[in-house]
Amino acid sequence: MVPLGAEFTSRFLFVLINGFVWALIVALVALGLSFIFGLMDIVNIAHGDLYMLGAVLTWYGLAATGNFWLGVILATAVVGVLGIGLERGALRPVEGMPAYTVVVTIGISYILQQVVLAVFGGSPQKMSDPFPMVIEFLGVRYPGYRILVAGVSGIALLALWFLLFKTSVGLWIRATMQDREMANAMGISVNNIYAMTFALGAALAALGGALASPIVQVFYLMSYDLLVLVFIIVIVGGLGSLKGTMVAALIICPLESVMTLFVTPTEARVISFLVMAAVLLVRPQGLFKAWR
Amino acid sequence: MAKYRLKPTLSGCMLATAVVILVAVGPLLPASLRSLLIDIMIFSIYAMAFDILFGYSNQFSYGQATFFGLGAYGILLPVLHAGVNLWTGILIALVLCVIFGLGLGFLSVRLGGAYFVIITIIFNMVFYLLALSWTWLTGGDDGLTFTVPPATIGPLSFSLYNPVVNYYFALVFFVASYVVLRRFVASPIGKILIAIRENEERASLVGYNVFRYKLLAFVISALFTGLAGALYAIRTRYASADYFSIILSGEAIVWAIIGGSGTLIGPIIGVAIINPIIYYVGVFWRHYLIIIGLLLILVLRFSTKGIVGVVKSRLAGRRAR
Repeated sequence: MVPLGAEFTSRFLFVLINGFVWALIVALVALGLSFIFGLMDIVNIAHGDLYMLGAVLTWYGLAATGNFWLGVILATAVVGVLGIGLERGALRPVEGMPAYTVVVTIGISYILQQVVLAVFGGSPQKMSDPFPMVIEFLGVRYPGYRILVAGVSGIALLALWFLLFKTSVGLWIRATMQDREMANAMGISVNNIYAMTFALGAALAALGGALASPIVQVFYLMSYDLLVLVFIIVIVGGLGSLKGTMVAALIICPLESVMTLFVTPTEARVISFLVMAAVLLVRPQGLFKAWR
Repeated sequence: MAKYRLKPTLSGCMLATAVVILVAVGPLLPASLRSLLIDIMIFSIYAMAFDILFGYSNQFSYGQATFFGLGAYGILLPVLHAGVNLWTGILIALVLCVIFGLGLGFLSVRLGGAYFVIITIIFNMVFYLLALSWTWLTGGDDGLTFTVPPATIGPLSFSLYNPVVNYYFALVFFVASYVVLRRFVASPIGKILIAIRENEERASLVGYNVFRYKLLAFVISALFTGLAGALYAIRTRYASADYFSIILSGEAIVWAIIGGSGTLIGPIIGVAIINPIIYYVGVFWRHYLIIIGLLLILVLRFSTKGIVGVVKSRLAGRRAR
């Protein structure tokens, strides 16, 4: 098959836009991960499962209330509260020891997956499109929901930026990130900041999952596929660097999406992996330095 | 010269006793228990290999199943397509793991801490995805079966389809791996690894090439993980994409954390505790991973040293008193 002509151009545009929409959703999840690591040195293996939980809870929220957007808000809030519980209950004893945070979050990941498997069942579910509208743009027919999702993700990212850089809570978080003991001495409750950070990171993952739920298949192992992508992004962008994470998401997702025109999705993923390997060989700390 | 001879230590005596018992009971065991023991011995090799990496050189990998899968396919494919004999097959599997260990290690070992964890996850997932999608090579999810060639020693030939032979086959490799790795961690190189684990900066200032030693630990770990994978493929006469599964990488961590890392014997105890739970509980409750998840969280609330670590420090405390 030789890809040529108008048909190819429209397909190319379609996957390119798809890539950017997907990049914004993935950026939400990746920022949550990078954020938690940057502040607390926690490598959150369960991050993908919080994303999965966001999608599953949205499914239930939609079933219970009949309103998709209410489901999204509920799912995000519930996972955020769960995040506080996880940080307080499970992660607090191992904070400051990254290797052991991996172990604890593996434990959390197993539990979340198995509970969802027991309650939600093992077969993938497809959700109906909550915004069934098609937008025509330069001869490309594009599902309106995805454009809407891109907008919502963009607003969420702006809100995060506003929270971190324009509010006093953000100031406390950034101060704790720079120097935990000094922040504590200045009267910032570091424990509360930690709980809040973890809750915020978890809520970002859940929001990503909730927004992605009508696009992808919802099931208990949906985390793994996303987690690789998110990890590649945070490594390329520089772990703990929010700007780097954002930039890397906007490079890698569209790249992978466009590659699927020529190769299978798995091979596209391998290409992302090779891009990451190349970046690591040249810049072992990622494209951007950590944010503290 | 007498003082340089190996002193009969407590754990040495216990191990010798355990080996004697394992050798003696081989033919007497009921089939299901024997099969469980074979699994425990093979996975113990894998668990010790992980301990070399995490317990002795402080490199926390969440991607060791990569080498388990490579070891399994490393013996399966040559036997299946080229009809090589058993020993050549195992050798090919080990060489394959060393080559990939060097390549992936070169990429990842330089990056310490969290980067290392994440990059090992990534390469594990990439290998898993490839094994799933390249069905022409790996059989994907369904996997491939093969006829295991007999183990020949000189004129003798043993069929590994006989479960008792398979038991002794695994036992020989298990004991040999333990002895080799025990010697390795007691050797000067092992001491350097421990020095690096305790304080990487100081070890590098003293003049050791930290990268090279950590890479060595990575490759040795890959080698023994591959051996375990090859033995497991022989035992099951089968390999599938699941041999690359990230769950399997997680299991190595579970064993080491619960048994006690940095002790070699700890991860073996971890396997001997966890695998029977999976074997017996998994039959009637498929959500057994919840138990393991809770164990991980609770054990770390109590101690980061695992069972062996706690016992050791208790004993040391009593001796000091």
